[in-house]
Amino acid sequence: MTSEIMKKFHEVAADPRAQMDKYIAEGKKVVLAAPVYTPEELIHSMGFVPMGVWGADTEIDRAKEYCPAFLCSIVQSILELGIKGAYDGASAIVIPSLCDTLKTLGENWKYAVKDIPFIPMTYPQNRKPEYGIRFTKAGYERVAKDLEAAGGKFDNAALAASNEIYNKHNAAMRKLDEVLAEHAEITAAERSDIYKSAFFMTKEEHTALVEELISEIEKNEKTAAELPVVVSGILTDAPALNEIFDGLGFSIVADDVAAQSRQYRTDVPAGDDAMYALAEKFAAMDNCSVLYNQEKPRVDWIVETAKAREAKGVIIVMTKFCDPEEFDYVMIKKACEKAGIPVTQVEIDRQMTRFEQVRTNLETFKDLLSM
Amino acid sequence: MAEEVKKAPRPVDPNSAKYKLGKIAGDAYVNAIEAKKQGKPVAWVSSNFPVEIPETLGIATVYPENQAAGIAARGAGERMCDVAEAEGYSNDICAYARVSLAYAKLKECPEQDVAMPDVLLCCNNICNCMIKWYENLAQELNIPMIILDIPFNPDYEVGQAIIDYVGAQFWDAVHQLEDLFNIKWDDKKFEEVTGFSCRSSKAWLAATGEAHWTPSPFNGFDLLNHMAVMVTARGKEEAAEAMETLLKEYKENHEKGVSTFREEEKYRIMFEGIACWPYLRATSKGLKSRGINMVTTIYADAFGFDYSSFDEMIAAYCSVPNAINLEKARDKRIKLCKDDSVEGLLVHTNRSCKLWSGFMPEMSRQIGEACGIPVASFDGDQADPRNFSEAQYDTRVQGLMEIMEANK
Repeated sequence: MTSEIMKKFHEVAADPRAQMDKYIAEGKKVVLAAPVYTPEELIHSMGFVPMGVWGADTEIDRAKEYCPAFLCSIVQSILELGIKGAYDGASAIVIPSLCDTLKTLGENWKYAVKDIPFIPMTYPQNRKPEYGIRFTKAGYERVAKDLEAAGGKFDNAALAASNEIYNKHNAAMRKLDEVLAEHAEITAAERSDIYKSAFFMTKEEHTALVEELISEIEKNEKTAAELPVVVSGILTDAPALNEIFDGLGFSIVADDVAAQSRQYRTDVPAGDDAMYALAEKFAAMDNCSVLYNQEKPRVDWIVETAKAREAKGVIIVMTKFCDPEEFDYVMIKKACEKAGIPVTQVEIDRQMTRFEQVRTNLETFKDLLSM
Repeated sequence: MAEEVKKAPRPVDPNSAKYKLGKIAGDAYVNAIEAKKQGKPVAWVSSNFPVEIPETLGIATVYPENQAAGIAARGAGERMCDVAEAEGYSNDICAYARVSLAYAKLKECPEQDVAMPDVLLCCNNICNCMIKWYENLAQELNIPMIILDIPFNPDYEVGQAIIDYVGAQFWDAVHQLEDLFNIKWDDKKFEEVTGFSCRSSKAWLAATGEAHWTPSPFNGFDLLNHMAVMVTARGKEEAAEAMETLLKEYKENHEKGVSTFREEEKYRIMFEGIACWPYLRATSKGLKSRGINMVTTIYADAFGFDYSSFDEMIAAYCSVPNAINLEKARDKRIKLCKDDSVEGLLVHTNRSCKLWSGFMPEMSRQIGEACGIPVASFDGDQADPRNFSEAQYDTRVQGLMEIMEANK
């Protein structure tokens, strides 16, 4: 049974276009949700299927007409896929401008992919004071207005219902994170499929499947990890990377990955004004390289999580040219070293075809942890 | 063999704009060091943070971007970047940030020492990289950081929501500083400061606008030096006076038929991007030797902080070059190119600046098309000398020149 559910996660994760075609064939409209935090609840409430776009492992060719080589390959590959028609049929793309490279993605998108309207989402960094929450709400109102132009309809009650659906999914994903930490039989590749597929399914479908998986896994005896690690970074979905994790026997007991657990840490609070409540969710979010935090609690979060989950080490998976992560890395490294937690960094890229350097680095790290 | 005799630098007239502007820029560093000695608060401030706040509150300021540019221009960019990289900072990170984080560790650099800060004033209307850089400074130096968040504006106009948001933060920042240093905001002083800031900006815009004359009464590379005062001191009376002197000199240059561009002006270009500080001489010489005058840059427009109300001031800070969408950024450049009879666009693809360079290929295509001018780009960096090749620069400039010649 577990293997059947895993198969489904894998199929969805490996072929998002098939999912998109399926939804469109069902008469649904798809809106693309770019990294890092897009108000999927709002898109969902307005009658669209939100589908995550985090690029793909592909050669960058046409996007070079727009992007200098030193922009991250996530953004470049999103643009590449857009230009080449991989997202054809989408009603719009929502791109939040939480890092400098994402700002440029929206601007380039307008000219490179004219058939799919660009909807900007402007978030505040001073997101916690009342004036910050109001500004977030104003950003959501603008997104809603643009989504109405794309055929959607805003309704407060519908958003409240979508907020609930997303909170339920968050809860399932948090529970999954706890369960996976105690079940080392689930591989890194499988773990990646579960998280990645969440971007390509409606949250109702994904929640049901995750809950089913959890109940199946919990029927098994807990299996202790031999090499428990915490993984941190923006994206860890490269099959070659997960193959190395699994081949070397690393078990991911917790992640601080933007495309994985960072998505599910914060719920929308209750409130009569559903859009204001959604803005309050953003205000409550922390522990991420693209969200301003003077005290950098993310660093402590990683150290404390590694301790709590009894991880033997921390692996930083650095997406090449991601400067928000590169700044945080120095602080994470120092904090881990201070806490006596071994830490290593491997650099990955959407265009990478040879992972030998990553393998060598992780082999050495494994030797270090096994001493 | 005769020894090479170095020419003594020409004495600078103390009544000239060059002298006045150089003195203001230099004094800013000295004044902050003096303030520190006296136990007064010193802030490290990002370049487009509203100067009206520290100036009104009497907080001494240091601008790390200016410091990094100075260090790079004096040849120490790589040495400082090496220090940051040894700490674990990737060489992908903005070189200004690497130089600054290295300085925070070493607390000295003979090429440009500065007073160490008691607070960090961060504004991200230039880039979000600034937030990460200042977060790390705050951690490394264990001092408070105040962020005035001005998000990238995807729309052409500045809407009321962003003005309300930034306006609220303005006063929040003021109150935080009052509490931190037990100082008081003075509305009268604020009014004075805004008056000087507007005077400086008006004079700067008018002075740079003198480039509409052919030949231009100035060498555009002058602006790269003079803008330091617009960054650091535009809210001071002496800055307003010095900028007015600059305007007067450019007008006089035109009347006398002279220019600070000391070659025959054969071609007029717009230079796009931050200066390549480690190779300022090489980049300048490559143009000058061909009779190419860089008559304008977006900096000519960047410091137009001329406003008549609080909301207009906030809107001006929301409209700085890196905070605006492609269309608005493009139209500002097209206007400069047309006003100043520009014949070619030379783009610095700055390895340090993802935001500035990230939609430049598309924008420069549109500018070239709208103005009917050729566009050439070269790879470089604002402070890390390892990312520039003089041979590539030379080839690209030569190519640009040949097309400009063919277009004549």
